Amino acid sequence: MKTSLRFFCFAALVCCSLLTVSSAFAAKTIKVGIVDTYSGPASTYTNDVRDAFALAAGKINAAGGIFGQQLEFITRDSKFKVDLGLSAAKELVMREEVDILMGTINSSLALAISNFAKQEKIPFLVTFAKSAKITGEKGHRYVFSMNENTAMIGKAAAAGLAKKPYTRYWIAGDDYEYGHAVADAVWENLKQLKPEVKLLGKSWWKVGEPDFTPYITAMLAEKPDAVIIATGGRDCVPFLKAAQATGFNTQVPFYMHTGTEVSTLKPLGLSAPEGVIGTANYHSYYPDTVENRAFVAEFEKAYGRTPAVGALYGYIAAQFISEAYAKAGEVDTEKFIDALEGLSVDSPVGQVTMRAEDHQVMLPMFMGVTTKAAGKSVLVARDIVTISATEAMPSLDAIRKARQN
Amino acid sequence: MELFPSLSFSVLCIQILVGLSKATILFIVASGLTLILGVLRIPNLAHGSLYMIGAFTTYSIATAFSQSNLGFWVALLLAPLVVALIGLIMEQGLFRFLYKRDHLMMLLFTFSFTLVFADLVKLVWGSDYRSLAVPKIFQGSYLLLGMPFPRYNLFLLLLGPLFAAGLWYLTNRTLLGKISRAAAVDREMVGAVGVNVNLVYAAVFVLGCYLAGIGGALVAPTQNISQGMDHSIIIEIFLIVIIGGLGNVWGALLGAVIFGLTDAIGILVAPQFGIVFPYLAVITVLTFRPKGLLKSIW
Repeated sequence: MKTSLRFFCFAALVCCSLLTVSSAFAAKTIKVGIVDTYSGPASTYTNDVRDAFALAAGKINAAGGIFGQQLEFITRDSKFKVDLGLSAAKELVMREEVDILMGTINSSLALAISNFAKQEKIPFLVTFAKSAKITGEKGHRYVFSMNENTAMIGKAAAAGLAKKPYTRYWIAGDDYEYGHAVADAVWENLKQLKPEVKLLGKSWWKVGEPDFTPYITAMLAEKPDAVIIATGGRDCVPFLKAAQATGFNTQVPFYMHTGTEVSTLKPLGLSAPEGVIGTANYHSYYPDTVENRAFVAEFEKAYGRTPAVGALYGYIAAQFISEAYAKAGEVDTEKFIDALEGLSVDSPVGQVTMRAEDHQVMLPMFMGVTTKAAGKSVLVARDIVTISATEAMPSLDAIRKARQN
Repeated sequence: MELFPSLSFSVLCIQILVGLSKATILFIVASGLTLILGVLRIPNLAHGSLYMIGAFTTYSIATAFSQSNLGFWVALLLAPLVVALIGLIMEQGLFRFLYKRDHLMMLLFTFSFTLVFADLVKLVWGSDYRSLAVPKIFQGSYLLLGMPFPRYNLFLLLLGPLFAAGLWYLTNRTLLGKISRAAAVDREMVGAVGVNVNLVYAAVFVLGCYLAGIGGALVAPTQNISQGMDHSIIIEIFLIVIIGGLGNVWGALLGAVIFGLTDAIGILVAPQFGIVFPYLAVITVLTFRPKGLLKSIW
């Protein structure tokens, strides 16, 4: 009886100590809360962000974590809705007590969470939302962008297009913020770089336009030298389909951001049009470096598919988090932000830097032309021209001016 | 800048043809809606969902048979039948018992079906969008009057009159058509002379759903097959049915042509505001003929 009592006490003690140890472990993690669209068409893009982040976090943890603390993440589905996403972000901060917020592909939601993060003083790393307002007009100490924005698309596209012989342009795009922002940014920059360009006219279609054929025949009738297509996300796919059916690509060269990117080209397989001029931050086959090849191999091994551009954003987000804490020397939000400003990390596209002044990541942009490649079931980009990050970044004056207003 | 520099004859012709090929799909789907509306008096909001299911089913069947070149054609044959079967289950399982209810009730019932079907599609096909290639023989385009015209659109253009003629024959020359027209006017009288009205109703409902399925199958290779395509089409075809005259198949044809043409010509004339033209046409028609262009059966 006595021994069993003693045994019971001992067992209870062990249990208690185990509990305290495990709770001590639980407290010693760095928690990242990711809010993004995981249902609906946008998930084609966001799944790559999450999966690449998980991959990078796994490697960081395997190498001992951050000061011995594991990098953990929790996801919440915002279903592309601002109200749902914002309450999910609040829940992550209040209940899950996350250290860092991350996401989202929806620009309106990114701006809403950014505002919340500013009040709560929680770092918010934006992945995929492309509004230039995030790090421009509405930028602040706690928000960072891990991807290109409409201002950068405009500068990069203009830099690439200015080198081409076209002067008479037509602009067409989504009658929506992204479409107008991209169209304006490309055109403003192109006019500066090449004053002789002439705009013949514009067409705007609704987001989710099912059939682009009438728009394309109308544009063909105007006989422009080239067309700037400012359409985003899944609308790129039916546009390219209609371009292929009408032979638009063989008659008028047209530029479309992400037109060369695998997320856009994959659904069309080999029936995607050739000759489309596109820009993208990332290709699994370019730059053809050891780092990129290693990253692609790892990603393919883990998930059985080729990484698309979202994978780059997810990967660098994890790198920035771990390196910034390492540089800060401790897990402290304010020191983390100071460390993140101006920090450079290695990535599949080479070293990338977080610009200190506006918290916008400096990513190079690759402009290329779609083509079929032997042995591949998806079109690839050829004649790739790299537009360096410094060329694509909005000027600091422009940022200051935007933030003053 | 001259006014409408693009309005050359050949461009206008091509744009009209593009508009008419778009009108074909709208007509096929809208005729199904208007048949059900005219004969059964059900404003079937789930018609757009059936169209979406038709498109997704076409994708699944066509990819299952992707080895042969006939994948799309097999799907075009089978997918509308699947949709018709769903229609049969809906009619026999539910609507059959509800013909006496008032229209608002029916509207709510069919609305609830749009939600059920949207979730069903999400369950079966997930939330990703799908893309189906145009069948091999219709890939590329013909050069008409110096302008490219997609081959698949030409195929649609030829199908339009075929369906119109078929529906005309069905409603005017067959017994089913005659009975259903009579039942639309006076259901009890038709029943009193010894016709099995329930059977006629079921047949018309299934036919209407079949047409939604055909529309979905035909549209599948031209656009993204995705959640939400049910909403966009139901708004358009309801407008078409309203401007054409409720329950009138010819009204659906007229409405679809107006809708397709104003859309295509609007894009040509004022590309910045192309979106609004079909809706302006609807407003104009309803201002002058609030009951629609052709005689409404209601």
